[in-house]
Amino acid sequence: MASFPLSLVSFSLTFLFFLSPALSTNSEGNALHALRSRFNDATNVLQSWDPTLVNPCTWFHVTCDANNHVIRLDLGNSNISGSLGPELGQLKHLEYLELYRNDIGGKIPKELGNLKNLVSMDLYGNRFEGKIPKSFSKLKSLRFLRLNNNKLSGSIPRELTGLSNLKVFDVSNNDLCGTIPVDGPFSTFSMESFENNRLSGPELQGLVPYDFGC
Amino acid sequence: MRSLTFDRVCPLIYCLLLHVHLLSSQNYFPHFASASSTTEAEALLKWKASFLNQTSHNNQLKDWIYLPKSSDTNATNSSSTPKANGSPCIWTGISCNAAGRVTNITIASSGIQGMLHEFSFSSFPCLEYLDLSFNKLFDVIPPHISFLSKLFHLDLSNNQLSGRIPPKIGLLRNLTSLHLHRNNLSDDIPPSLGNLKSLVNLSMSYNLLNGSIPASLGGLINITILYLGKNNLSGTIPKELGNLKSLVDLQLSINRLSGSIPKTLGDLTYLTTLYLYSNNLSGTIPKELGNLKSMVDLRLSFNQLNGSISKTLGDLTNLTTLYLNSNNLSGTIPKELGNLKSLVDLELNTNQLSGSIPKTLGNLTNLTTLYLYRNNLSGVIPPSFGNLKSLVNLSMSYNLLNGSILASLGDLINITILYLGNNNLSGTIPKELGNLKYLTDLSLSTNQLSGSIPKTLGDLTNLTTLYLYSNNLSGTIPKELGNLKSLVNLQLSNNQLSGSIPTALGDLTNLTTLYLYSNNLSGTIPKELGNLKSLVNLQLSTNQLSGSIPTTLGDLTNLMTLYLHSNNLSGTIPKDLGNMKSLVALQLNTNQLSGSIPKTFGDLHNLKNLYLFGNQLSGFIPQNLGNTQKLTVLDLDNNHFSGYLPQNICRARSLIRFTAHNNHLIGPIPKSLKNCTSLFRVRLEGNQLIGNISEDFGVYPSLNFIDVSNNQLYGEISQNWGFCPNLTTLRLAGNKFTGSIPAEIGNATQIHELDLSSNGLVGKIPKEFGGLALMVKLMLDGNQLSGRVPLELKSLIDLEYLDLSANKFNDSIPSFVGDFVKLYYLNLSNNMFGQVHFPTSKHFKLLLQKHCKATTACVAT
Repeated sequence: MASFPLSLVSFSLTFLFFLSPALSTNSEGNALHALRSRFNDATNVLQSWDPTLVNPCTWFHVTCDANNHVIRLDLGNSNISGSLGPELGQLKHLEYLELYRNDIGGKIPKELGNLKNLVSMDLYGNRFEGKIPKSFSKLKSLRFLRLNNNKLSGSIPRELTGLSNLKVFDVSNNDLCGTIPVDGPFSTFSMESFENNRLSGPELQGLVPYDFGC
Repeated sequence: MRSLTFDRVCPLIYCLLLHVHLLSSQNYFPHFASASSTTEAEALLKWKASFLNQTSHNNQLKDWIYLPKSSDTNATNSSSTPKANGSPCIWTGISCNAAGRVTNITIASSGIQGMLHEFSFSSFPCLEYLDLSFNKLFDVIPPHISFLSKLFHLDLSNNQLSGRIPPKIGLLRNLTSLHLHRNNLSDDIPPSLGNLKSLVNLSMSYNLLNGSIPASLGGLINITILYLGKNNLSGTIPKELGNLKSLVDLQLSINRLSGSIPKTLGDLTYLTTLYLYSNNLSGTIPKELGNLKSMVDLRLSFNQLNGSISKTLGDLTNLTTLYLNSNNLSGTIPKELGNLKSLVDLELNTNQLSGSIPKTLGNLTNLTTLYLYRNNLSGVIPPSFGNLKSLVNLSMSYNLLNGSILASLGDLINITILYLGNNNLSGTIPKELGNLKYLTDLSLSTNQLSGSIPKTLGDLTNLTTLYLYSNNLSGTIPKELGNLKSLVNLQLSNNQLSGSIPTALGDLTNLTTLYLYSNNLSGTIPKELGNLKSLVNLQLSTNQLSGSIPTTLGDLTNLMTLYLHSNNLSGTIPKDLGNMKSLVALQLNTNQLSGSIPKTFGDLHNLKNLYLFGNQLSGFIPQNLGNTQKLTVLDLDNNHFSGYLPQNICRARSLIRFTAHNNHLIGPIPKSLKNCTSLFRVRLEGNQLIGNISEDFGVYPSLNFIDVSNNQLYGEISQNWGFCPNLTTLRLAGNKFTGSIPAEIGNATQIHELDLSSNGLVGKIPKEFGGLALMVKLMLDGNQLSGRVPLELKSLIDLEYLDLSANKFNDSIPSFVGDFVKLYYLNLSNNMFGQVHFPTSKHFKLLLQKHCKATTACVAT
């Protein structure tokens, strides 16, 4: 029967076996470790992610600030497959979420909208499906949002027009529908950012609903 | 078992002739000696003489001696040898027929150590019954055993016989019982056994038989009992066994039989017992088994059976035992199993059964054991389970059950084991569980149970194990748990329990494990816990416990793990903890403990892990910590320690992790680290360590991470680092290192991060760095490095972070940095680059756009 309360995911550094239960009371480390368990890491990019360490700040591809809070996650071009989970929303101090050009699928968790300090979110070049979460409208610091080359569907949430700091926005090569927003920062984005979707062109305010054609 | 008729007359002509002559005159006997060269008595004595244990076995066979018949001595004209005249018929274990010929030899449990080679089978032409069981007979069964042509009962079981079963046993056509079980018989089952048409009972279990079961056994048409269990039999179960219409008991368990269960077994309508467990059987359970209406005990567990449980099993209404556990069975549990009113023991655990538990199982009121654990069962626990008043063992853990725990489970008054852990059960723990007076094991762990722990659990005075961990339980720990004097394991960890730890827990003097970690417990640690002299594991970590560590904990001399970390504990570490000589892991980190480390810690000779980091500890680190021969992890970082590091810290060469960073330590790197080949992770940064370390570090086969940055170290960087094959991080920044960067570091191909910044290094970047293809972070800034940035660095394509600023590099900006597609930080400023040509790649443009404002010193412009 249940003989031990914690089942730590097996880790390549097995000789540190005696370090359980995990010392890490650090919620950010736990969140990243939960993320790792969702990933298939074919090339061992995440090998250094030792859950028995007090914080994740010496893990590769993770960057912390002076207070040991995670501010960057750099896993672009890393041959990772799997999916994301709600736990990523616990990285409250995250500024850069770089997961571009991998093989990550499933839905984009709405909890990413909790990352209030996020400056850049690059999820392009994956297999994400489902809708662009409306919760992204809470990412008031966001300057770079690239979701291109995925399988996203539905319409572009109108709420994103409130992201006044947004400088780069790319949703090309998805399966989005409806019309393209024109308000706020969207007035500055080139049409290249929207091509190869089922979008029906810039919205004509007052004439058709934005999700027309969806 | 067939009764014996000792006075049966031998029907064979040979025997008849012998009979007549024996009656007429003893004098004729020598003429027959040509047919059997020794008499039966002589044969028995000769065999007895061959026993290895002549002295010890004799108690039972002590009357096996020559006693010439009085008639012989009185006989006139007696020319026969004395040998011919001794009759064994009155000897222990020997019976004869009216003619004085031996028909029965029963010398079981006589401690005989001998071989059957020495037994003259040919001397016993009338032998019908031979029982040599429970002795120490060894070596092979001789093929001559086939001379015993009258034999109907042969029992050689429970000996040490080995070798192959002689195929000639197949000649014993009169055999009705053949017992060869519990020997060391090997090789295959001779197909000739299929000729024994009279056989009723064949037992060959507990041997080393291999090969497959001969299809010829399908010819044993009178057989009622066939035991082949606990051998190494492989191959499939022959469908011909379906011909054995008289079979009552078939046991093929614990072999390596594969393939599927033959449908034809459904023809064995008299079968009451069928054991096929612990084989490699696959395929589905044939629905034809539902025809076996006499079945009482059916065990198919520990195979790879798949498919669903046939509802026809619900027709086996005489079943008392049904084991289908540890297969790959899927689908739902048929509600028809609720018809099996005689069932006492139902084990369906460790399969992939899904759907909800049929409420009809609540009809099985004779059940004492119900195991449904480790399946994918969902839905609620059926309310009808409150009827299972005979239940002693109930386990449904490791499923997907939801809903609440029924108060009616409190009616199962005979239950001793109740396991409901690892489900999705919610609601509160019913106070009625306190009625289950015989309960010894209660596990409700890893569910979503909420509310408080009922006081009534304190009535379960036979409880040895109470697991309530990993739920959402709140409220305080009831002081009534202090009544559970038999308790050995108490695990309430990972809940939201609050309040203080009841002092009454100090009464649980049989406890070996007390886990209260990861709750919201506050107050002080009761000094009464020092009464728990049997404790092996005490884990109170990750709470809000305050006050000081009670000195009484030092009385827990059997303790192996003491985890008090991540609380608000203050005060000093009691020197009494040095009395806990069994201690293997001591975790006091992340508290507000002050004062110094007790010198007595040097006496903890079993200590492997010592975590003291993240406290307010100060003073000198005891030099005798190096006496702890098994120390593998020593974490002292983030305290206020001063003085020297213990110089002998790796005397035992077992240290794997050593962290002492962010203290006020002075003095040299401990000498014992040089040959500490066990090292995996070392962090000594942020101290005032001083000394020339050119020669202080050796070559470490396992070393993964070392940081000695921000100290006062000097000398040259050792080329030894290049020979650490598993080194991924080398941080030597912020010291006073001089000289050039050794080219040998280019050999450490696992390096992901190299930080040599803020030193006094001179010379060029070795072109050998081009071999460090896994490099993610390279920091060489703040040195006196010069020359051209080597073109070879272009192969560091995984670089995310590159800082070469504040050096004397010249020539042109290395344009290949534009190809580093993962780069997010680049600083080349404060150098002497002549031409300023920025790379023009799309990625590099974005790098400028995206990260310049995020990093203060981005790209020199």
